[in-house]
Amino acid sequence: MTRRPAGQPIDLETARFRLRTLKPADASARWQSWGKDSEVMGPLNAPVRDMSIDYLANYAASFDNEHRHLIGIFEKAGDGHIGFFIIEIDRAHRCATFNVVVGDKSWWGKGAVNETRAALLDHFFERRGIEKALGSPLARNFPAVFNYKAQGWRHEGTLRGHRLSVTDGSRLDQYQFGLLREEWRKLRKANA
Amino acid sequence: MSASAAAKQLLAEALHAGVDAIPDDACIGAFERWDSLAHLRLLLAIEERLGRRLDPDEAVRIESLADVAAVLGGR
Repeated sequence: MTRRPAGQPIDLETARFRLRTLKPADASARWQSWGKDSEVMGPLNAPVRDMSIDYLANYAASFDNEHRHLIGIFEKAGDGHIGFFIIEIDRAHRCATFNVVVGDKSWWGKGAVNETRAALLDHFFERRGIEKALGSPLARNFPAVFNYKAQGWRHEGTLRGHRLSVTDGSRLDQYQFGLLREEWRKLRKANA
Repeated sequence: MSASAAAKQLLAEALHAGVDAIPDDACIGAFERWDSLAHLRLLLAIEERLGRRLDPDEAVRIESLADVAAVLGGR
């Protein structure tokens, strides 16, 4: 059974991408393939698995667009689905935790994450009352760490042995990155 | 080879560029060719050269050519 989303869906554009709330109908073989790709799932410490189209459709329907957002990244040229953000809102503290997956490897290293995340930071800071953004990449996910740094997020701490590896059971270090709304506004102004 | 020269060499290789293309003040966010995949290649190359994994506190501090030289030089 699909639940009716409670909040407003998101629909934004950047120079190269469209960002919009994913719907159950967006579940596809393309999205399904990312879950089976160890190069995509490994850096996230997520298990490689074969998720059915129904599973993905129900997963998309489980987001309420208020406390939890699932936002697809689509190429404007061709409309291909290349990845998604999961954004979790802590309304009491006006914080948003960002997670991103770019499943289409042809977009790796081409600035897709920071281009799209910039639009989402603008949206959540300026339109949804968020005052701090958070991100928690694994320490060995060097490309993700690069993206946070390149975008001006601040490394706030290292959580030693904070996660259990899904592949070998070892303990994995994780970083905490943060970005305050005022810092983002200053960065936007400086880069305008 | 000095740590600075070795750092520039590693960064050039990670960027698939010549050493001459690397500015002395190269850093993340200000040197466009230094992208996320180049960063991955760079950190793995540093680990290979050092013969050990980077400590997470060490790895997260690498933001510039000078930082790479500092890690290679043991500072």
